[in-house]
Amino acid sequence: MNLSYYLVLAAILFTIGAVGVLVRRNAIVVFMCIELMLNAVNLTLITFARSTGTVDGQIIALFVMVVAAAEVVVGLAIIMSIYRTRRSASVDDANLLKY
Amino acid sequence: MTPETAGVVIGTGEAVIFWILGPVALAGALGMVLSRNAVHSALWLVLTMLSLGVFYVVQEAPFLGAVQVIVYTGAIMILFLFVLMLVGRDSSDSVVETLRGQRVAALALGAGFAALVGAGIARATQDLPVLGLEQVQGGVGGPSSGNVEAVAGLLYTRYLLAFEVTGALLIVAAVGALLLTHVEREPGSRQTQKELSRARFLTDRPQTLPGPGVHARATSVAAPALLPDGRLAEDSFATGIEPEQVEQMPRPTGREQLGSPDAALGSLDPTLSDTPGGRTGGEHR
Amino acid sequence: MIDAPDFSFAALSPLLLVLGAACIGVLVEAFAPRDVRHPVQVGLALTGTVGAFVATLLLAGTREVTAGGALAVDGPTLFLQATIAGLGALSILLFAERSLDPARSAFVVSAAVPAGSPRDRELVTTQRVQTEVYPLALFAIGGMLLFVAANDLLVMFVALEVLSLPLYLISGMARRRRLLSQEAAVKYFLLGAFASAFFLYGLALVYGATGSVRLRDIREAVTAESGGVLMVLGLGLLVVGLLFKASVAPFHSWTPDVYQGAPTPVTAFMAACTKVAAFGAILRLLYVAFGAAEWTWRPLIYAAAIISMIVGAVLGLTQTDLKRMLAYSSVAHAGFLLTGVIGFGAGGDGSGLAATMFYLVTYGLTTLGAFAVLTLVRDGDGEAGHLSQWAGLGARSPLTAAVMSLFLLALAGIPLTAGFTGKFAVFRAAIEQGAWPLAVVALLASAVAAFFYLRVIVLMYFSDPVADGPTVGVPGLPTTIVLAVTATATLALGILPGAVLDLAGRAAIFVG
Repeated sequence: MNLSYYLVLAAILFTIGAVGVLVRRNAIVVFMCIELMLNAVNLTLITFARSTGTVDGQIIALFVMVVAAAEVVVGLAIIMSIYRTRRSASVDDANLLKY
Repeated sequence: MTPETAGVVIGTGEAVIFWILGPVALAGALGMVLSRNAVHSALWLVLTMLSLGVFYVVQEAPFLGAVQVIVYTGAIMILFLFVLMLVGRDSSDSVVETLRGQRVAALALGAGFAALVGAGIARATQDLPVLGLEQVQGGVGGPSSGNVEAVAGLLYTRYLLAFEVTGALLIVAAVGALLLTHVEREPGSRQTQKELSRARFLTDRPQTLPGPGVHARATSVAAPALLPDGRLAEDSFATGIEPEQVEQMPRPTGREQLGSPDAALGSLDPTLSDTPGGRTGGEHR
Repeated sequence: MIDAPDFSFAALSPLLLVLGAACIGVLVEAFAPRDVRHPVQVGLALTGTVGAFVATLLLAGTREVTAGGALAVDGPTLFLQATIAGLGALSILLFAERSLDPARSAFVVSAAVPAGSPRDRELVTTQRVQTEVYPLALFAIGGMLLFVAANDLLVMFVALEVLSLPLYLISGMARRRRLLSQEAAVKYFLLGAFASAFFLYGLALVYGATGSVRLRDIREAVTAESGGVLMVLGLGLLVVGLLFKASVAPFHSWTPDVYQGAPTPVTAFMAACTKVAAFGAILRLLYVAFGAAEWTWRPLIYAAAIISMIVGAVLGLTQTDLKRMLAYSSVAHAGFLLTGVIGFGAGGDGSGLAATMFYLVTYGLTTLGAFAVLTLVRDGDGEAGHLSQWAGLGARSPLTAAVMSLFLLALAGIPLTAGFTGKFAVFRAAIEQGAWPLAVVALLASAVAAFFYLRVIVLMYFSDPVADGPTVGVPGLPTTIVLAVTATATLALGILPGAVLDLAGRAAIFVG
């Protein structure tokens, strides 16, 4: 076993998240898929921190978590505000803006 | 370990953990994307995040492992679940494809991306040297300070600017959340108990309105109350709800038909159901 | 023992002024009485942005790397920071306009009240306004100022988020057509978060290849060619994340929807300032970190430029809403800007950097002006965005039509306007570096795009006014200032561009 196992696992998780963003319709689930992508990035960063022998990767992962927390707050607030008027969190129902 | 012999051998224990938790993480990710119910998706994602937290600890990042569990699963995912419950638990997804072929296209794109990036990474890193972090943060009982100190040392020097700007980000998040959820009341727009009660006694009806369902034989709030003579009580219409025809319990028409006082309270016996205004009894069991 | 890194507060001053004003703005929300909040917030926001603008002018000529190596203050940084601060101040003026809408503002009274609820209908006519937009806009401007100065990928990422989160929020705060606006916010948010995940994955791979996220360290690794596949993959993903922010096709899908749904002052702000910031980061990343590996990114940028110009020009033709049309125009202009990025030159000696920076100034001023004119033409339901409503505007309001025509001609790149000078500069930079096929495509796309700009002008002057056409509002002082500044600058930069071109040329040296 070597470190590329972790990295390939992270790449697969990232891809699953990206595909999930494209196929799921519920805005909250789409957002969860984005969180999965960020988690995959964190695994990559921490693995690289170990392979390069620098702590920088861990610190970047810490920043990713902080930023993700802020993003979740803003994102869920926006989704809630649209839900309260529409009673639906499906991205398909957000269809006023079409040409 | 000296710097010259850079390289850490990955032990069997770690391999075992990887081969157990790796598939678990993968299953969590797939479960999240595939499950119809949004709450199930969130729980599957928690599984993946916990597995990744263990990987962080194994990979010499115990601090981040803890943060992963506390912040990601403990705070962020709880927030997700909280909002899901607020929005309505059965917000399950429709499986109808709105853009034809979108799912296939997304899968093809995903497969292409995974092949490109995955294979690229696998090839580029298959004999990646593992320097390990013992030099900078010390292993268990190592000479240098621990993981938390190493992280703090860099965080407050090289990454100080990013750290401080994160403050701006958190202010934006707090202001944004309040902005979108906190409804400011006009001063004086909310009447006190005293004012409300005074206003009520100034009308010609100081008592409470008849509740929906008084004298009615249905449990729905949309069913208007009935007066003793069988007319509808106009006062009892719920505001905001269209009064509608509600399925009612069978109407007792006479003692000889009902037989006993018990039955007059509404019977579940299907034989009594063909009375006027009644319902077919079978479905009320 | 931890030793604090050196911070040059002088070099940080534009950033500190804007973010400081934003923090004070948040406190004003908490403590100031409601009646005085709006003027105080506007004054504070203008102080912050104009102060930052002046600070960048005073700093001119500085070349240093500060904040522990995380921030590079050099010619391009200061030039672009001045552009962002200036355009930001003008956008704030557009935000502050209160005499056009009968309801006195383009922003919602209370964003938390559900759209369409009885309370919402009740509030529509009040004169109050959600003044939090000003601190949020300031935070966004602060993020942009940091974005163009970031000398390390992590700071770049944090700055990207600092500039994006407030934009997600304020694009959902239109006073009229609230559902459309909220929908724009959700779309922008989801796609923006998706794109920043790609940026981050690129960051992680580049870190894996080099062991550092410093642009200088990355450049050393690139020069030593030690990165390999990881580096190329990482670069590709980083560029995808940045191209999204710059609304370059094929990553532009959010642009028309968000531009249409957001309040028009916010659209103007996004179109002008976000574009400058995103291109500033693209230039720094490609030139400083990956300048030695030009062969890796050149095909990518080349293709994105061609796709963007074609998509923007062709889809722009089919639009019937002016805001959407300007959105596709913004996609096309992103392609023209990438043409300038191509003009980097093998040893970094091309004129691409100066040309792109000059183009950003001209495009920012022109598009801001065009959106400002859009806020003037109104019908009963807010702004009259549909093309048919603009028919015969030349007869009804000659001045408005003339100003709009000037901006449209500049966007089309007609000589004697700023647009022409900018286009000329970027095309020349590309041709000098042998990218003449790209320049040919750019010329063709300009011709196609010119058609839809000119169509609006023809519609305004040569068709009969519609019966119940829109009214043209009389702008208050803020919008008048914006229109005067942008129109004058558009003309001045078209007739006498020498001074600013020289300035851009002299500023165009990165510090490592």
